[in-house]
Amino acid sequence: MAARAPAAIFQRCLHGIAVLLGVSIATFAVAHATGDPVTLLISASASEATRAQMRVHLGLDQPVIIQYLLFLRHALQGDFGQSFIYRQAVATLVLQRLPATLLLAGTAFAIALGISIPLGVSAATRGGWSAWLLQGFSMLGLAIPSFWLGLMLVLIVSVWLRLLPVDGYGGLSHLVLPAITLSLQSIARLSRLVASGMREVLRADYIRTARAKGLLERRVIWVHGLRNVLVPVVTMAGLELGDLISSAVVVEVVFAWPGIGRLAVNALGQRDFPLLQGTVFIAGLGFVLINLVADILCARIDPRIRLA
Amino acid sequence: MKRVATFRPGPVFLGRLGALLLGCVLFLAVAAPVVAPFRPTDINLRQRLLPPAWEAAGNTRHLLGTDNVGRDIASRIIWGSRISLSVGLAASLLGACVGSTLGLCAGFFGGWTDRAISWLIDVQLAFPFTLFAIFLLAVFGGGFVPVVAVLALATWVNFARVVRSQAMSLRAQDFVLAARSVGVGTPRLLRRYLLPAVLPSIVVVGSFSAAQAIMTQAALSFLGVGVDPTIPSWGAMLDLGRNYLQTAWWMATFPGIAIALTVLGANLVGDWLSLRLDPRGR
Amino acid sequence: MLTRRAFGTLLASAGVASAAEVPQVVIASDEDVTTLDPHLIRNNHPIGSIIWSVFDSLVRRRPDGTHEPRLALSWEQPAEAVWRFHLRPGVLFHNGEALDASAVVESFNRMNRSPFNGESQLWQQTNLLRVTAADSMTVELLTDGPSVTMLYWLEEAFVGAPRYLRETPAAQVGVQPVGSGPYRFVEWQQGDHVSLTANDAYWGGAPAIRTAVFRTVPEQSSRLNELKAGSVDLVPGLDPDSSGGAESALSSAVQVAGLRKMHFGFSQHGVAPLRDRRVRQALNHAVDVSTMVETLQRGMTTRLASVINPPNNDTGLPPFAYDPHRAGQLLREAGAEGFAVEIAFDAKYSDSQESCEVVAAYLQAVGLDARVTAYETGHFAETLRARAFPGLYFYGFGALIEPLVELVIFTSDAVDNASGYSNPAFDRLVKRAAQTIDETARNALLRQAERMVWEDAPWLYLWHLPQIYGQARRLQYQPRPDDYVEIYRARLVA
Repeated sequence: MAARAPAAIFQRCLHGIAVLLGVSIATFAVAHATGDPVTLLISASASEATRAQMRVHLGLDQPVIIQYLLFLRHALQGDFGQSFIYRQAVATLVLQRLPATLLLAGTAFAIALGISIPLGVSAATRGGWSAWLLQGFSMLGLAIPSFWLGLMLVLIVSVWLRLLPVDGYGGLSHLVLPAITLSLQSIARLSRLVASGMREVLRADYIRTARAKGLLERRVIWVHGLRNVLVPVVTMAGLELGDLISSAVVVEVVFAWPGIGRLAVNALGQRDFPLLQGTVFIAGLGFVLINLVADILCARIDPRIRLA
Repeated sequence: MKRVATFRPGPVFLGRLGALLLGCVLFLAVAAPVVAPFRPTDINLRQRLLPPAWEAAGNTRHLLGTDNVGRDIASRIIWGSRISLSVGLAASLLGACVGSTLGLCAGFFGGWTDRAISWLIDVQLAFPFTLFAIFLLAVFGGGFVPVVAVLALATWVNFARVVRSQAMSLRAQDFVLAARSVGVGTPRLLRRYLLPAVLPSIVVVGSFSAAQAIMTQAALSFLGVGVDPTIPSWGAMLDLGRNYLQTAWWMATFPGIAIALTVLGANLVGDWLSLRLDPRGR
Repeated sequence: MLTRRAFGTLLASAGVASAAEVPQVVIASDEDVTTLDPHLIRNNHPIGSIIWSVFDSLVRRRPDGTHEPRLALSWEQPAEAVWRFHLRPGVLFHNGEALDASAVVESFNRMNRSPFNGESQLWQQTNLLRVTAADSMTVELLTDGPSVTMLYWLEEAFVGAPRYLRETPAAQVGVQPVGSGPYRFVEWQQGDHVSLTANDAYWGGAPAIRTAVFRTVPEQSSRLNELKAGSVDLVPGLDPDSSGGAESALSSAVQVAGLRKMHFGFSQHGVAPLRDRRVRQALNHAVDVSTMVETLQRGMTTRLASVINPPNNDTGLPPFAYDPHRAGQLLREAGAEGFAVEIAFDAKYSDSQESCEVVAAYLQAVGLDARVTAYETGHFAETLRARAFPGLYFYGFGALIEPLVELVIFTSDAVDNASGYSNPAFDRLVKRAAQTIDETARNALLRQAERMVWEDAPWLYLWHLPQIYGQARRLQYQPRPDDYVEIYRARLVA
């Protein structure tokens, strides 16, 4: 197994690169799909000289393959062009806002874990009200639109109760509402996962053995059972974090959180294509990395998992 | 010794609830011209920003109040169901067709076909979908066809994965091998033998995909990417209501409830279908 | 884990909220600051407001329309096409450079280069030919023919530190502005806020408010909440519907007579019926603007009575009364019944959509096939510049008091003539007025032109945009009728 691990990691990395190439092709293709990338990627108010420069830079007079390779080369150098509205390098803008999105998604994830694990364990072992609660979360959590929930929270907590600041970026109190809003869907999914995982695990042989040995019930649940439930949770973690980053877009808009989601929506409103393209690409890159890390972590936690 | 509780409160009840919710929305969508008391574009300036009927300043003619130009909220929600349902169903169908076909091919043929399609699936999953949807729709504009296409792009992966793994396990089964040995051609094999076998899973995934499509369409119209400027989409109503949160909370509240109930209905039906059609549990 | 690390770093760098109670004044805005380059001002607020605080120009117009000397102490016109400005001595830029004529020349010439000449209108609007330094403290402007509105356009001709402008790349200039204004630039946290601090070495004396922060708060309800809670002191751009939400123990709503003329332009390069003056008049009669003012604007503003703002307008101009019957008549006369027309608006402004939908309903009521279309901001601006709208477009213009400038936009070759309205007789009148130095004679010509264009109805006349600010009670500040916030004129109530 020790000998297999590095090879497996290497294979995952290769796979990651293959996916990344696909991401780059997709990002490149969209802008060129309309057949007229000039109007998309060059600002209408740019002077003729600037336009000519950009055409050469993008290789627009060359065959598509060359254009794609140029795009790839620029991307690897971190050059995604200049934003029309901000007149700054796209990469700079995106990387400036990225930490805010990660903070939001990360906090939402932490909240989701903090609620899902106890809730799932409790629902699986004891049932009763916690099972009802879980049922409620999983039904409503996936049905309630996050942007609506955000607005309702704004209405109730900030407009009617005046408890918390509504938006912006200034510290813990600004983070609470958006993070809670964002975490709901994760809670719905993760708590279900934890509960069903726990149920299966608790039926397993080695648990019966532990019980037969006379170990405390609590130790049985938390130490033996949970450790094995964590595996599917970590497997899902990569995807879940990715999902959170994706869902963060609307939450960022509702709460005016200065992350990449809001940046992208601004770019949409102003048809700032270089900015959109760069944001999508960098976000895709981030996703691939997160999933790669999650995969490797999985292998670490449970060497039984083959990374084939 | 404590028993491990296996708690599943009334799946049949929930399934019926889901069917009821969906049925209501379907009815409203079909019967909108008859059921809605007003047209969605009937402007009445003197009746603008009326609160719901049960409030003091409300009016029973406008049960859920009016918006900033005096249009009846209840009527707009009823009419808006047309967009949500039509987009949800169309996107789900399109995603089902594309996804199932690709999934069947990947699962059945294996080898490079499988690798290529799995790679496509992974690339798709690597994208933060909402951002990519925004990007696509910024380039191609809004409207029914682009939005349905983009939503189908969101859902095909679900179908493909499920069908693929089912096809992989099915291709080694006896009835398939038997058909093969008799000389049944591949296309017929796929169509007549494998497809019916995976159909239940497709239906289950279809229900959840419709829910996902409806939710995503609402989100996209909330962000400003619309489908039809004359009929208000629930997401667009939420977007408008955002500006009036302090002065007219009803503008944002009720469309959101409509979205939640519809998606809930579709999810509950999906849950129930998954129990009935696919007892192995996906 | 990613989260904990990021969280910690961010808390540390952003500085925990509620630091020491520095008496800073916070001004909220719904738009983002995109650049702080003085020659690329995209909007009046927040960008314009910040630039006005960090930079100075030769003259500045007071709210009543007269001009006060700023970097220029005095000026004269030795000849019709020549303007001479004498600069204020002893003015320093924030980085220590001194103001002299060559600095002004440097900045003015920069405005004439791309991409700045896309936003800065000085050269085009005044027909400026050349800017020279007559001596170290005197600047001479040479125009092509007399330019009556020179002072108006000089107001936003900002002077930046010359060596800094020359030696710094443009992207950096937009991020770190160096001017000579009453405030120094401190920091810009993108997407969040811009901080300014008082310039103690300012020639006009340091402003009363030591720290000014311009924050981006996109949600209106948030802006109002923060105003009422005391974390924001000024919220410009309130509309009648939300103005009530500004009242609290700490704040109130302050209204000044609005000047921006809201209208629907009739594009002359779009559908043919709009080129007929009877059709344009008919559409003016078809819309009940008074009811719209009463309901949508809650009666907090007035209908447009002219294309010229008070107090310079002719009060005797006949308004277009709401008369759908007459509208139908005129349409029949012109043979233009039931034609299809698009109503365009800039998707950025949510209350634009409201007005457009209402007007569409009125037009439909007289039989037209009116459709509302949202244009995204860039596209709207381009189409505006290219005069290429297919039908009507919703716009607000001319928040100023300067009759000649207000009329010039209707001349055929005016850059801002978005409707493409073209009337040679009107052009001649305005041109004559522009070259008439004698005030009485000029005013008579302006009156004539005013009436001519009013009756020709190049616009569907709506109302003055109500200018409502949410203001903290602790702030003593007289808001302007345009959107600029001159925070250097404000002070805190003791």
